[in-house]
Amino acid sequence: MLTVSGLAKRHAKADRPLFSDLGFSVANGEIVALVGESGVGKSTLLNCIAGLETADRGSIHIGPRALDIVRLDEATRAALRARSIGFVFQAFHVLPTLTVAQNIAVPLLLCDVPVGEHGPRIRALLARVGLTGFGDRWPASLSGGELQRVAIARALVHQPLLILADEPTGNLDPRTADEVLALLLERVREQQASALIVTHSRHVARSCDRTLTLTPEGLR
Amino acid sequence: MRRRTFLLASLLLSTPVRAAAASVAYPPVRPGAGLVFPRDHGAHPAFRNEWWYVTGALDTPIADTGFQLTFFRSRPGTAEDLRSPLAASQILFAHAALTIPGDRLRHAERAARANLGASFSSADCDVSIGAWRIFRQADGPGELLRLQMQSPQFSYDFTLTPSQPLLLQGDGGYSRKGHSAQLASYYVSWPQLVVSGSLLHDGHRHPVGGRAWFDHEWSTALLGDGAVGWDWLGINLADGGALMAFRMRDAEGRTLFAHAAWRDNAGHLRQFDPASVEFAPLRHWTSPRSGALYPVEIEVRIGDRSLRTRPLLDDQELVTSQPLSVVYWEGLVRVEGGFRGRGYLEMTGYAGKLQW
Amino acid sequence: MTTLACWLIRAQFRSRRAATLLSMLAIALGVALGYAIHLINDAALADFSRAMRAVQGDPDALIAGRDSSGGVPLASINEIASDPAVLVVAPVIETRVRVGSTPLRLIGIDVFSAAAVMPGLLPRSAAGGAGGDILAGAVYASPALLDKLSLPIGATLTLMRGDQQWSTRIAGDLPATDQNDLLLVADIAWVQEHFGPTDAVSEGRIRLAPGIDAATWRATTAQLLPDGLLLRAPEDDSARAANFSRAYRVNLNVLALVALLTGAFLVFATQLTAVAQRSTQFALLGVLGLSPSLRLLQILCEALAIGAPGALFGVSLGYMLALAFTQLVGGDLGGGYFSSSTPAIVPRIAPALAFFALGCAASLAGAIYPAFLNRSQPLAQALQAGFAQIVEAGGVRRRGWLPPVLLALTAFVLSRLPPWYELPLAAYAAIALLLVVGITSAPLLTRNLFAWCAGRRLPAAQQIALQNVAQAPLMAQVAASGLIVSFALTASMVIMVSSFRTAVDHWLDQVLPAPLYLRSKATPLPQSLLDALMQADAPFARVERTAHTSLTLDPQHPAVALIVREIERGNPAARLPITGPLLAPPADRTPVVWISEPLREIYRIEAGQWLRLPLLGRTVEGFIGGVWRDYSRQFGALVISSDDYRQLGGDFHPTDLALWPLPGRDAAAWLAPYVASHGLELADAGDIRRSSLSIFDKSFAVTYALEAAAMLIGLFGLAVTLAAGVRLRARELAMLGALGFSRRMLSHAVMLEGALIAVVGLAIGLACGIAIGAILTHVVNPQAFHWRMPLQIPWAAVVCSALSTLGAAVVASHYAARRATRLPLARILASA
Repeated sequence: MLTVSGLAKRHAKADRPLFSDLGFSVANGEIVALVGESGVGKSTLLNCIAGLETADRGSIHIGPRALDIVRLDEATRAALRARSIGFVFQAFHVLPTLTVAQNIAVPLLLCDVPVGEHGPRIRALLARVGLTGFGDRWPASLSGGELQRVAIARALVHQPLLILADEPTGNLDPRTADEVLALLLERVREQQASALIVTHSRHVARSCDRTLTLTPEGLR
Repeated sequence: MRRRTFLLASLLLSTPVRAAAASVAYPPVRPGAGLVFPRDHGAHPAFRNEWWYVTGALDTPIADTGFQLTFFRSRPGTAEDLRSPLAASQILFAHAALTIPGDRLRHAERAARANLGASFSSADCDVSIGAWRIFRQADGPGELLRLQMQSPQFSYDFTLTPSQPLLLQGDGGYSRKGHSAQLASYYVSWPQLVVSGSLLHDGHRHPVGGRAWFDHEWSTALLGDGAVGWDWLGINLADGGALMAFRMRDAEGRTLFAHAAWRDNAGHLRQFDPASVEFAPLRHWTSPRSGALYPVEIEVRIGDRSLRTRPLLDDQELVTSQPLSVVYWEGLVRVEGGFRGRGYLEMTGYAGKLQW
Repeated sequence: MTTLACWLIRAQFRSRRAATLLSMLAIALGVALGYAIHLINDAALADFSRAMRAVQGDPDALIAGRDSSGGVPLASINEIASDPAVLVVAPVIETRVRVGSTPLRLIGIDVFSAAAVMPGLLPRSAAGGAGGDILAGAVYASPALLDKLSLPIGATLTLMRGDQQWSTRIAGDLPATDQNDLLLVADIAWVQEHFGPTDAVSEGRIRLAPGIDAATWRATTAQLLPDGLLLRAPEDDSARAANFSRAYRVNLNVLALVALLTGAFLVFATQLTAVAQRSTQFALLGVLGLSPSLRLLQILCEALAIGAPGALFGVSLGYMLALAFTQLVGGDLGGGYFSSSTPAIVPRIAPALAFFALGCAASLAGAIYPAFLNRSQPLAQALQAGFAQIVEAGGVRRRGWLPPVLLALTAFVLSRLPPWYELPLAAYAAIALLLVVGITSAPLLTRNLFAWCAGRRLPAAQQIALQNVAQAPLMAQVAASGLIVSFALTASMVIMVSSFRTAVDHWLDQVLPAPLYLRSKATPLPQSLLDALMQADAPFARVERTAHTSLTLDPQHPAVALIVREIERGNPAARLPITGPLLAPPADRTPVVWISEPLREIYRIEAGQWLRLPLLGRTVEGFIGGVWRDYSRQFGALVISSDDYRQLGGDFHPTDLALWPLPGRDAAAWLAPYVASHGLELADAGDIRRSSLSIFDKSFAVTYALEAAAMLIGLFGLAVTLAAGVRLRARELAMLGALGFSRRMLSHAVMLEGALIAVVGLAIGLACGIAIGAILTHVVNPQAFHWRMPLQIPWAAVVCSALSTLGAAVVASHYAARRATRLPLARILASA
């Protein structure tokens, strides 16, 4: 589960607060949509939760061990991300120089899962995202929808506590977007992870368990 | 009688050189030469061979320690025509040995040509190779002989004080070595020398005391009459007398020629002809190195008396390497029987046939 | 984690095959050159020491005359021999003789003492007798000499030295000598008898008794020796062998290091562009949990994956190069220090590992900055925007001209410093600093030049490309730096070699005044010839005689040449290329000497001072009348007039003649019988001049090879960086394409960019090259080799090589431009 409390962050360039005193939590198995206008700080909030940016104040706890990601150094944050967080991006970000299976194996390698266990887990997951037999293909030969399925598989393969998704369907056509979203939600619920999905899409937001709206005044 | 130098000189020469050497006019050894001292203590470079030979037995620091220091001079007949002062016309070898009871025999050797590391005097006894030296000192109250040598294993600096006059062997120093008249040498002995000085052994310097025997011999003759080797004895007798005996052997071990001289403690000298001297082996020792069989205990009959040799150490075999390998037995023995005393026994020609 | 690293390295190699291979090759080339030079020098040095040991044995001390024409008196030898600390003194008389026209070394030994000190020289009689023949005057030849003379054992031969002759028989061989040693061994007395010296030997080799401390004994004994004798340690000789060629070897190794340095630049270029290209990928990995230190490590690992195989290949290539070189040419890399025999290349594990490590270190060094950049990337931004941010972060623009100026000043100060350990280390440091100055000033010049160009009226595509480079000069710097370094070094070497060659050429004019020269190969000239030359009917207008010997002024330094010449005491400048002031000799008959420039540098003495000469067995004070230029005797030489030499009691045995034939007379025909019967060497000044210059050119052949390698690597670097830059700007170029720029226009823009970067690189390289050339000429040469010469810049050659490099750079950027035009524009735009 994810618990955010008292979070504050100033704007990086313009010298004004982006948000202050944000607090919310996401339970295990709960999927929360984060909506809001452009520039309101959705991505920054996501980056803070992922430890890619450091909040000025407040605390962020992920999972039962309840480490405050705000107070960790960069190396520990990286380790925490590797173990506890799965990412899905709008631009897929599948490594073009690795095969599909290798891409999915990256989090396992980062979590020091023995290489012997990789094969079965990746094959099982590929089947769950509808990419059976795609393991040895190169990303260049995949369509956008397929790439995002690979990204979802990669986000889930190490069974993280938290899934962070930034416009996961933004680059996909509506039909594929629906399929991929359904897949993402289904898998997240299956693994009883928490998920925070940043989106502009009402459709996506509606599919989630709960919607948080970020405004310059705070969460609504 | 120590003829090791014969072997060295001959081995050194290959056939063409020996042919050249044959043309060298060595002076003959004749009776009645009338030796004069100290001049005749010095070198006689015209003759083919010469040696100064000191053997002795020490009583301190360890009783029955044997020592030996020899200088050989050889005129091989090579490079005779060269004007160069470095010409190898006079070559010197030196050999030193030390026998400590219960220990093994130790020895050291040196070789050099005259004017290049080696030197000799023709006026008095003074012969050296590097810092090895035998020389006579007469500047004090009496005359002395000094022996100096150094080696990694042992070094010594001895002073020999005469207690008796010189002993001219044979006929006033003319000493026969065989039945033919050419087989002879000039031979001077000086027995019963009192040894003092110091011995450096195993890193310790010890003052020494004992008795020594000095021989000086020069000749031109080579081994003749089919001789392959010899047995020789020089004994400082316990009663103050001195005894020298030798025999020449042929390949079958038969005696070709023998001689003995005995000067009793009253100074009376008796010479013994070949018929009155007889060598009979009593016990043999086999060398593990060369395989040679040496009669280390010999019964020697001299006139109506006889003596037996008892070596202080069976293994007193020497293998020299410089400049060539020569194998022989030479060591300290006690003699018992009709004569009692200590001295050196030398046996050559037992380790295979000598190369000519 | 290793699995991931391996995947990434493999992926990197797959996607950038050319750049990776080139980097590997560059590292391999640097390592190979360095290692080959090391192996060849090592082998030549070992060969030299071995040959010396074979002849000299392994004594504890050596005693010899300081004056090579003298010797050690017998009395001194015997005195040393009678020291109880001395086990044995092995005297030798060594002399040069000839058989027919073959010159060879004749060594007279004493078999009784030689065995203890010089077992390598012991003879073996064919007859089976163990050395009796030698005392009877037979000689023994090394197998190599028997081969060379085509004589069997048992043959008779006549040895000649000047007018002296010795007919003797070869009784056997010298089994312990090496296949290259041309030696004849005889008994010392027989050598002395025929060739002298009387009552002396050339050298005594001393074995001390066990337990005697050799250094202490030498120190005590040396004080008791007469003036003219020198007691030295055998280590002195080995050290001297190593010392006298050290500067030359260090110089070569520095050049090899330069090749390696350029290799490191190439790795830098490759890895920097690799980091830039993959910034998004690394940002993603960072987001997924790859820690910053592992991101840094990954780049270093990739560099190592380039460096390690490259270095490994380099080591094996170096070994093969060394092997091939020694087989084809011999052990001398052109310095003339070693014989041209074929020394055995013996690779030992430690140096091989060291050169391997050096290759790895070079590639790691090249990757440090890129790795650091990769570590410090802001993940979130890089994931979205890529590498452009980092270029800003390169931050070169803030510093301006101050650092380069300061560095240049430091370099200037360094170049004024004296040598360290007799090596021009400060000057080498100054050269390295100058290169750094060149590289750091590159972005400044690039920005200004490109901004200026961008301000001109140019077609839009070019203008945009130029503006882009001017705003992001880091890549341009990377591309230019390889060129700067390689061209600076090439230009500097061209300048130095040209200055040197001009100076040598000029010098040869001065030192070869006569039309004809006659030499006797280190043995005295026959008296019959010298007498005949004095006759009225000799076809010569003028004859000048010279004798060569040597003196040991300092046992730590090689012996200096003593040249006894028929020269006017009052007018040495007529024959010697005097460089400084010429001082009038004292009015009395005190001897005057004129010293060579190397001698002045090595012994730090000046004209007008007095020099203590160990001459003729005593110490003689000589007045230094002047300094003359000498390029042929690196360890120093001094000239004394034959009159002065005779005055001191020396015997003047001429070895060389300078001859001025009378017009219309056939001097060569007149000399021919002497030349034939005494194995003399007759050459006219033109021949000597040609062969001298050809030796000079040969000695710099290796240098040219190294320069070519450096230039090639520099060009590779340019091509690789430009190509990478094109890829990096793929989006921008694609956008321009989409806006309507044709592929041709894009290609032209890229080529123009490459050419301009090359111009910047070459301009800076040329400036640095001239500065470095000046340091090489005025600092490194005098300090390392004691040669002085004026600076001569061969503008034509320098400009030509600059133009051809520019041409090559345009070709290289054409390669990059082709990549630009082949970019799949639509796809790039779609993926953005």
